[in-house]
Amino acid sequence: MAFNIHQSHKMILLLPAGMYLLLVILCAVVPAEIERQREAQAPPAPEHPLVEKGRAVFRQLNCGACHTQQVRGDEHLALEIDGRRIVPVLAADRRFASEATGSAHYDHEDPAMMGTQRTGPDLTGVGARLPGTAWHHWHLHDPRAVSPDSVMPAYRFLYVDELPADAKDYEEVGRIDGLTGGPKLYATPKAVALVEYLLSMQGVKR
Amino acid sequence: MIASTVIALGVSALGVNAPGPLAIFGLAPGATVLIGVLAFACWLGWRLGGGANTKIPVGIPIFVAAAGNDPRFAKLVSRYLMSACFWLLLGSAFGLLVAFKLVDPELLTDSSALTFGRVRPAHTMIVLFGWAGLALVGMGLYVVAKSAWLPMHQPLQRWELGAGNLALALWNAGVAGGVLLLLSGHVNAGREYRMFVWPAMVPIAIAVLLLAVLVYRLLARRQVKGVYISGWFILSALVWIAVVVVMGYQPRWTSGVADRVIDGYYIHNAVGMFFTPLAVGLTYYVLPKLLNKPIYSYALGVLGFFTHIVFYTVIGTHHYVHTAIPQWLETTSVVFSVAMIVPVWASTGNFLLTMKGERLAIAHSYSLPFIVVGVIAYGVASLQGSAESLPWVQETLHLTHYTVGHAHFAMYAFVSFLAWGAIYGLLPRLTGREPPVALVGVHFWLALAGILIYVLSMCIGGEQQGAAWVQGKSFMESVRLMSPYLVWRAVGGVLMFASHICFAVALWRMRPGAFSMAFGHQGASGLGQGEA
Repeated sequence: MAFNIHQSHKMILLLPAGMYLLLVILCAVVPAEIERQREAQAPPAPEHPLVEKGRAVFRQLNCGACHTQQVRGDEHLALEIDGRRIVPVLAADRRFASEATGSAHYDHEDPAMMGTQRTGPDLTGVGARLPGTAWHHWHLHDPRAVSPDSVMPAYRFLYVDELPADAKDYEEVGRIDGLTGGPKLYATPKAVALVEYLLSMQGVKR
Repeated sequence: MIASTVIALGVSALGVNAPGPLAIFGLAPGATVLIGVLAFACWLGWRLGGGANTKIPVGIPIFVAAAGNDPRFAKLVSRYLMSACFWLLLGSAFGLLVAFKLVDPELLTDSSALTFGRVRPAHTMIVLFGWAGLALVGMGLYVVAKSAWLPMHQPLQRWELGAGNLALALWNAGVAGGVLLLLSGHVNAGREYRMFVWPAMVPIAIAVLLLAVLVYRLLARRQVKGVYISGWFILSALVWIAVVVVMGYQPRWTSGVADRVIDGYYIHNAVGMFFTPLAVGLTYYVLPKLLNKPIYSYALGVLGFFTHIVFYTVIGTHHYVHTAIPQWLETTSVVFSVAMIVPVWASTGNFLLTMKGERLAIAHSYSLPFIVVGVIAYGVASLQGSAESLPWVQETLHLTHYTVGHAHFAMYAFVSFLAWGAIYGLLPRLTGREPPVALVGVHFWLALAGILIYVLSMCIGGEQQGAAWVQGKSFMESVRLMSPYLVWRAVGGVLMFASHICFAVALWRMRPGAFSMAFGHQGASGLGQGEA
């Protein structure tokens, strides 16, 4: 009897599963492993505990739902200048950097917060673009106080008006509306770390 | 009328917080037109849905058609659907909250649990795995049992029923635990559609494997020579998603560009190798069944099945075009994204040609209109996806709200509508109870109006947003021009949510009943024994 896939539930299980596994190896496992090997050669990231803590806060609040960390470039227009390969940035992303983010930008970052949605601006160079600690605290505490049409949620739960008794690693932040007198505002350790992380993003690494 | 009131309230509630954007669109005329359209839609749904010709084409009363069905099996399928419906209500409530938050960013910002960054993944995870997954798998069990010609007085053996119930319990526990962990800050951040931390995904993965074994056994026990194409899609979807979940949670490729290679793969395979084949597989059974005629071309179905594997698996990286991911992988993903036209139109064309000449049957059915919308949306949303993957289109549209519009077009107008079509078309044959026809009509029109408003506003707005970026306007300019579209998205969302309430009531009315089950359990010989 000639083989007929339509009549064999075994083949209907195995053939699509086998085809799928083969393709998964080709399009996911192989490129991921190549990138892993390349990453292993890269120098380890410098240790900075406060930035790492801020990165964890960034993840817990899932800021990546609205903020990308990728400056897109066109590989086909790449140039070699003084032995350095430069990938020109897409028109839409030129406001964020003059060079596209390369693979080194994400080395040893777990997870790599490249992002898929840009409801708010890209954060690749936010530390260089907005270097003030106070601005970031004001912005997190009340986004619309510094950026009137912003749709970012306020992160008031990261701030307190009065220091708790066992306060440690809190930081006093001047109120944007209360430069003279008025109630004080304190950043919790989480907010302090988060701003430190934001300021650590100094631009494109390639 | 109730629906219109809900909408009016929704619109005016939005208006309070967003005077600026509404000035552009005109709140009063917009709301008036909308309420008019809805009133007309409800009336039309009533007209189309009502009348005497709404029974199944063969003309036997539905409780007779369902006579002899195993009540335990009916309860199992019904439990899947009711769980799915619960998650649909909760998930779309979270979705509404997300939509409202972008209109009024100060809404519920006092706790970290309900911050935008957590509610959004809670919404996507609940509607994907809670609603769509359970609804499609639940109907899938019925379709596999029927298309394998298993005796309906006992399609599943005792332990298989237990395995089905256990899988459901594990699945529900996974989704519930995942959401609670997510809201309390245990976020698998940066990894879309797998935002649950791994402990919550383990029970779901075990449930998937149990279901794969169950479906395989049902197919192996079939009473016909061939395995019908629906069985191919449903069995394979369960096997594929098991691989996808393992790949998504493996501990080896979790950092750097390798992490993003896996992410691109995962995002599109979780959707395209699970929800799409399940929805398409169900439709291969439901559509010919409801029209009482064979599928237009069986061979096209087989072509669609195999090209789906070859093309769909590879396209994930199109989420990361123009990034640090290797260029060869980006290019390959775009080429295969365009090639997706083949499997999509093999099935869409197949369904459309099966429907050809059946306008009357469609007009007199309360389930077929859902399938018509779902099939058209499958074809159109997939074409849209192919176009969006092109690098020069990505320059403008990628990372904008356009993608959100596309995702809802596919998961709602395509997958959810086909799930509803299958539920309304098949569940009465299993439980012996039909839903109130007018209510189904209201569900249909509210959902359709809602998703159209949603998709159009997000796609038009997203295109403007992307154009503003390319033109070099300030980023805040692009945020401002998006605001009226975000209001309209929320309006669409309110309609969709209202339709889900209708669905919940209709589903409750289709639950396995004491009469039909007592009647059914005895088989045909039990006629006249009543409820005793």
